[in-house]
Formats: sequence, structure tokens, C-alpha cells
Amino acid sequence: MEFAFTADEQAFREDIRQFLRDHPPEQFAREGMDAGYGSGAHSHAFLRQLGTCGWLSMCWPREYGGQERPFMYKLILLEELATAGAPFGPLGGVDQVSESIIRYGSERLKQDLLPRAARGDITFWQGFSEPNAGSDLLSLQTTAVHDGDDYVLNGRKIWNSHAGIGSYGLVIARTNPAAPRHKGLSMFVVANGTPGLEPRPIRSMTGGVYHYEVFLDQVRVPKDYLLGKEDEGFTQLLAGLDTDRFWGRFYKAPALKRILDQLVTYANTTVRRGQPLARDPVVRRQLASLATDIEVLRMLFYRNGWLIKEGLPTPYESAMNKVLADETGQKLAALGMELLGLYGPLKEGSRWAPLHGYIQHLYQTTMGHTIAGGTSEVLRTTVAVRGLGLPREPRGRS
Amino acid sequence: MDFRLTEAQELLVHTARDFFQQYCPTTLVQQLALDQHGFPDALWHQISALGWPGLLIPSALEGSDGSLLDIILLIEEMGRACFPSPYIQSAVVVTSLLLTAGSRVQQERFLPAMARGERIGTLALTEESADIAPEAIAMRGDIGGRLNGSKLFVKDAHVADYLLVVVRGNGGVNLVLVERDQPGVTLLPLEVMSGEKLFEVVLHDVPVREDMLLGPAGKGWECLVPVLQRGALARCAEMVGCAQRILDICVSYAKVREQSGRPIGAFQAIQHHCADVLRHVEGSRYILYKAAWRMHAGLECATDVAMAKAHMSEACLWVARKGHQILGAIGYCEEHPLHLLHKRIQAAGLDFGDAGSHLETVAQAIGLV
Repeated sequence: MEFAFTADEQAFREDIRQFLRDHPPEQFAREGMDAGYGSGAHSHAFLRQLGTCGWLSMCWPREYGGQERPFMYKLILLEELATAGAPFGPLGGVDQVSESIIRYGSERLKQDLLPRAARGDITFWQGFSEPNAGSDLLSLQTTAVHDGDDYVLNGRKIWNSHAGIGSYGLVIARTNPAAPRHKGLSMFVVANGTPGLEPRPIRSMTGGVYHYEVFLDQVRVPKDYLLGKEDEGFTQLLAGLDTDRFWGRFYKAPALKRILDQLVTYANTTVRRGQPLARDPVVRRQLASLATDIEVLRMLFYRNGWLIKEGLPTPYESAMNKVLADETGQKLAALGMELLGLYGPLKEGSRWAPLHGYIQHLYQTTMGHTIAGGTSEVLRTTVAVRGLGLPREPRGRS
Repeated sequence: MDFRLTEAQELLVHTARDFFQQYCPTTLVQQLALDQHGFPDALWHQISALGWPGLLIPSALEGSDGSLLDIILLIEEMGRACFPSPYIQSAVVVTSLLLTAGSRVQQERFLPAMARGERIGTLALTEESADIAPEAIAMRGDIGGRLNGSKLFVKDAHVADYLLVVVRGNGGVNLVLVERDQPGVTLLPLEVMSGEKLFEVVLHDVPVREDMLLGPAGKGWECLVPVLQRGALARCAEMVGCAQRILDICVSYAKVREQSGRPIGAFQAIQHHCADVLRHVEGSRYILYKAAWRMHAGLECATDVAMAKAHMSEACLWVARKGHQILGAIGYCEEHPLHLLHKRIQAAGLDFGDAGSHLETVAQAIGLV
């Protein structure tokens, strides 16, 4: 057992901190909403700045312009960015899709997209869910038909994060309708702006737009933009969803710690009923307990990351840890609202809003976290079946 | 960052698991819980032959040269078996104090016999206030003076050869080793629901001899703090082991117990309970390992220990209660081992500081005024 970071890893951490001092996160323009996951708002400018440092491609193979830095560097980068509250929203998508392109993509796809992804010039959205395929994703109905040098896509995708301001979508569609549900699926990289592709914003309960519904009407995708092999999209999807749960939540622990620290300061400096809130024994206990929960979360994610790094199987870890991350986030946001009391609901912009009105925003966004990327119910079942070997519940007819 | 155990640690864990599986069935644990003596003499001899009581002791003093991480892993297995013994008090707490604060003469006098398992020590700290803090120590004990009064919740005092009595003296706190069978020492059993053997130790005119003082006079608390942290981590390891065993019992039961035509483990309600139990077991384990590693590496670890103990006292108890829900009526029976594991977690959660006291340490560490 060894829980320390190496000297090189520490030095890299220092580099990131220096970068963040040189480029204060609040100075970057933001064009997409912060969905509360811990990766902040969607900022192209910030992404490009990360690209300038070479950090978007640092773990890629050298032949694609990477530096082949060890896996742990990515964890450190995410942890530091989240700790600083930086707007690195699109980073996860860029990283995940780039990895998929390196692994499954055609030469043309690699040449077209990887250099731009490394510079932070392009961002990606995921097109998996459909109006009638949520937790039961295999019910998806979007089709892709091979036609000459292209595939032609038709259908509808939903809950696509920042699809309206992204550059490319990763869209799963049915290429073989005659095959069993889990076969005959394929993954495509679809450029925004392609005729027939229309993202429509979905305004969330927060008042902001994070998700889109994407309509695909006779959308032509070059056949080289098929990611991987035809009809084998489901295997890729499964691997992708699992790593997505890990990468999409790894930075939650440091992001929550940042919020917790802000609540500690608030409790120290806010007098209620004649004494600082921090002196209220219930408040002390709740905050201390959450600090502990966050540290537990952090360790579970580091172990999860270590298993991935070692190439060891993670049949249930990412599912289990995602549930914990999102439920811990809900707990912290709810506690924040409780501490702030009447001031809690005040939105950003009010001179009376504590912590820039962020807590009410976080509180609202956390309602979506235990739904997106696998509901907590579906994932608990995954943990029970794949992690503990419990028998599957009999399935309904499909 | 590396979560892998060394080969030697893997071997230790497997040896311990097999050993306790063979020699410490829960039927024996149940029998010992009901028995007044309640100490598995034969098993203690066997673990002594394996060198476990001396795991923290250097080989020069007849120990087995193990590390703190080794002993944490071993105690996790003891927890899994619900092994009842004074192991933590003797092989972790009193041993660590002798190693860190004892003079060379004291180490040579006490540690080889403790390493061989022939002598056992235990800690007599708490008084009526039940607080663990220097200001909570009221019993007087200057060098050359005499001890009078009661210590409460002293574990396994009936089989201990030495009581490490924490007293107020010489302008601070003194740590005094008292031989249990000397005149003036009376043990009154405190029967508790766990079946752990706890005692009120009544001291009457017991002399404080300089050669029995551990650490500098009046500076005992400073010596005791890191040792109490070790005790807390050891109890955490025990809780993780108990919780893991509860998970194993629940999962194997849920696979075979059928209701309404299918195993109960095929119902989502049970699946989700089991998934949450797993999350608490693993979360507890890794926060424990991190705290233990920091202590092992000699890094500042007070907050990590407090977090681990605070978290585990609640998370593992939650596991135990959920275990009752998953197992249904059978878990309510004395013949089923669940209650033994549950009660062990309950006892361990209170030892070396309860969740509330550790959370206060965390509250200060995160900067609350």
C-alpha cells in the first residue's frame, strides 16, 4: 500500500496550481451552464488554454501527438481543476471521445479530429438516450443505413449535454434492425452543422440550458466516421458508459470539498441566534460528517482509478462510486441550503446572495445527477448483480 | 498511489482467514460471549505460536518485526471471525506504548513475554465521566504516591497481567503499569450486551513505583495520544472485518433463500440493500487503509484517524442493522452469528472515542471555529 504521490506527480500538481494562478478561472468566458458535477461551466476559452499546455493530449500515444504521460496525471489534473472551481466542463467529453477515436477510429477520423481535440478546438456531446430509451437504453430506435460512402441517420436523441454548442456528437444508432436488441448497434461521430441535424435546447428546472434534444433527419455521416466496427457499437458503449461513470464523477470529491470549505467559512462568519453558526453543535457535526463522507468518496475513486490503471476488472466499482458521489453531492447541497436558510434560495446577482448564489444552483442540478448516466436504482442493481453475484431479477417482455 | 498488498501481507491475510475459519467458528464466539471467563486460552496459545501477539515487536525483543499495516490487516481478519481476545489492548495499545515510551529496561522486561503471548496488558483509562481527555483524568498518581479509585470499561482485565493505568500526577498525566494480581486491585465485572469482558477496576492504595512509570513523569498524555490513535485504527479494522462478514452472510443467504418463487436476492429491494452494504464496507476499508498508511509512514494523521473512526462507527453499524433487515427473522436468533458481529461493531465504535468525539476533531480540522 502506498498513498503518496511521486515527486514527479507532485511537481505536475504544482504546475497546474501555477497555471491556475496565472490564469484565474473566473476570467474565462463561459458559454454553457455549470451542471454541478464538479467540472464547472462550459468554456471553450479555458479548454483551449488547457490545450496550449498540452494537457488535453498528455496521456495519448506519441504517434497521435501525445506525451504518453502516466494515467495518474489525468487524475491529478482533474483534481486540481475541480479544487479551483475551473470551468473545464467539456474536458471529460474531449478526453473520452479522443480515447475512443484512438482505440476504434479510422485513420481519417484520427487525422481529422485528434489534432483539433488536442488543441481544445472542438468539443463533443453524447447521443445515447432517446425519448423511449432511458434506463432501458437498448430500446433505442435511431437508425443508420449504409448508403454509398455514407451512412444515413434518422431518429431522435435526448439529454445530450451541451449538444447545441458542441462540435461533434457521438451517436449510437441501429445498423441492423433484424439483429437481437444488443447487437446491430453502431457508433458514429456526427458533426454539428450537418444538414438534417438539429439540436433543440431543453430548459432545466434551474432556468438554464444544459441538455438538448437532437433531431436527426436524413443526416449523412461519412463511413470513415463510423467509430469501430459496424454492429459492434454496444460493446464499445458498455465500456464507454462504465469509464464515463468513473471519469464523469472522479472530480466530484474535490469539487464537493471546495463547496464544503466555502460553507465552513460561511458558518464561521455568520452569526445566528447570537453566535456563529459554526458553534452550533448540530452544524459542526453535519459539516464534519460530510467532510468525512467526501474523503471516503475520494478514496473510493482513487481505488477505482488504480484498478483501471492496473488493467484490473471493475465490474461494479464505477457504478457503486457514481451512486455514492451523487448522493453525497445531494446531501451537501441540501445541507448548504439548510445552513443558508432564507438566503439560500437567492440567485446569483443578488447583493444578498451568499456564495454568489451557487448553492441553490447546485441544489437544483443535483436532482439530475442521480438520474443521468444511469439512475441510482439501475446502478444499485448493477452492483448487486455484477459485484455481488446476486441473481438477476426476471426481465419483463421486450 | 498503490492499493496492492505485499506478498507477505497477502500470505498473512490468507493464513489468518484460514486459521480463524478452522479454529474460531461463530459457535465458539457465542459460547465465549455467554461464558464468564470468555477467553479462548487455547486459541491464544495458537496465535502466540504464529507470532501474532508480537507482530509489532522487533525481532531483537522476540517479536515478529511486522508493520502497522500488517497488524491492521490481521485485525481485519480477527473482526471477520469476531475473535474475542485482548489482542488490540495488549498487542497494539500496551505494546505500542512500551515501544514508544518505555525505557530499554522496561522493553526488555515486558516485551519478550508479551511477544510470546505469555503476558497480556490492557488499558485502564476511562473514569466516570467516560471522556477521553487529559482533563477527564481525576485519579491521582504522583511517583511515590498511591492509587485510589475506579477505572471503568477496562477490557479483559481478568486475563491481563498488567494494567496500564492513566492517572493525574507530576504536574500532568502519568502512565503507570500496575500488576493486576497485586494487593489493592479488585475487578468488578461490567456485563455488556456484546459479551466483551469489561471491568470496573478498583484500586486501593496501590503504590506508584518509578520503575513502572512509562514515559517521562507528567508527560504521559503526549505519549498516549498516538497510541490511542493506533487503538482507534485497530478497532476500525475490527469493524471493517465484522462488516465484511455481515456482507458475505447476507449475500450468500440472499442467493439461496427463496420467497414467492425466487431467491430473495433477485428482488431489487434486497439487491439495493446489499449494494449499499457493499458501498459502506468498501468505503470504510479504504479510509481505514489511508489513515493507517499515513500513520505507518510517520505523517500527520490525527484527522485521518478521526475521520476513519467517526465514519466507521456509523457506517459499519448501519451495515449491521441493514444485515438484520436482509436476513429477516433468522438474524434475530441467538444461534445466528449476526448479532455477535453487530454487537462487536457496536462495542468497537465506542472504544478509543465514539463517533461524536472524533467528529469534533474533524470539525476543528476543517476549520470550524
